[in-house]
Amino acid sequence: MYRKSKFLVRADLNAIHQSQVEALGDPGTWFSGQQRLAIVEEARSALAGGSTSGRDVVLLLAHQLAASPQGFTETVYTGALDAGLSDAEYVEIVGLVSRLVNFDVLARGLGMDPVQLPAPKAGEPTRERPIEAVLEGAWAPTIPNGKQGGELGRGLYGGRWKPFIIRALSLVPAELRKHYELEEVQYLPLDRFPEYEYRHHEGLSRPQVEVVAGRVSALNECFY
Amino acid sequence: MVLRESGRAIGKTFNVEALVRPTLDIGVDGGAELLAFADAVLGADDGGLDNAREALADRLGPAAVSAASIIAANFSKNDRIANGLGIPIEKHAIEATVEIREALGLNDYRSAVNSLG
Repeated sequence: MYRKSKFLVRADLNAIHQSQVEALGDPGTWFSGQQRLAIVEEARSALAGGSTSGRDVVLLLAHQLAASPQGFTETVYTGALDAGLSDAEYVEIVGLVSRLVNFDVLARGLGMDPVQLPAPKAGEPTRERPIEAVLEGAWAPTIPNGKQGGELGRGLYGGRWKPFIIRALSLVPAELRKHYELEEVQYLPLDRFPEYEYRHHEGLSRPQVEVVAGRVSALNECFY
Repeated sequence: MVLRESGRAIGKTFNVEALVRPTLDIGVDGGAELLAFADAVLGADDGGLDNAREALADRLGPAAVSAASIIAANFSKNDRIANGLGIPIEKHAIEATVEIREALGLNDYRSAVNSLG
C-alpha cells in the first residue's frame, strides 16, 4: 500500500492498513458495504475541503466529523438520534470516519495520493449490540472495565483496564477492535505507555512523538 | 500531558506552551520542524507541506517523516473518536492537569465540557 512511498513504512503497519482499507467495503455491524463506502467517501471529500453531498443525517454527520472535529457537542449526538440514527449506528459512523481520516492523513504526510477504496461487498450487517454496554460518562453506552464488562469486555480489553479512548467505540465491538489494532501499531503497545524511554518508531523519540500528538490534538481542539 | 511527563522521565523540562503557541521554543530536538510538519499535514497548503516535509527530513532524517505522519494520522483518528463520542478524561488525569489546562487554554475547547461539566 505504501511501497511507492519515498519514506519507509513498517511492514506490520502496511499490512494492517491494507487489510482494514479492503474491509471498508464489507458489511459492518449496522451498515451495508455500500453504505459504509458512502460514509467514508463523504468523509474523504470533507477532509479535502469539499461540500457535503446531501442532507442525509448519516452523510452530514460523516462530513462534519471529518471536516471540523472541533465543533462537536452533545447537541450533534442528540440531533443525530432525533433525526433517526440509533446510538450504535452513530458509533459505527464515528469509527469509520475516524479511520478514514487516519488513512488519508498518513498518505498526505507521506506525500502520496489517498489510498484507493475497495468495491462494496454484498451481505447483511451483523446487527450485534452488546448487552454489556451501559452509559458510563460518554454520550453513547460503552462496555465497562472489569466484571461489569462481562466475557465480551474481557475479550476486547484483554483482561486489563483500558482508558476511555479505547473503550469509546465498544458499543460496536468490530470498530473498537480495528481502532485498537491501529493504536497498537501506530502509537505504541498500550502496555508500554508508561515507559517514556521506549522507542516505538525508528524516526522519533517519545518526546518527539508527543510533540506531534500534542500539536495535532491542539489543532483539533481535543480536550481528552 | 504526556509530553511533560516524558520530559520529566529523562530529566528535562519541555515548554508545553509551544503546543498551542508553536512559535515558542518547545525544547525538544527538532521540535520546530515537528510542529511545522503537524500544522502543514493538517492544513490545506500542499506547497507548505512539501517544505515542512523536506525540513523535517533534513533535520531528523527521512524516518522521522514516516513516524510523524503515522502519529499525526493516529491522533487525527483519536481526536475524532474523543470529540465525536463525548468521552470524559479519567478522574486522575483531570486532577493532574489543572494548572496546565489553565495555562494552555484547554478549558476553552468545546470538548472540555465532556470532562468538566
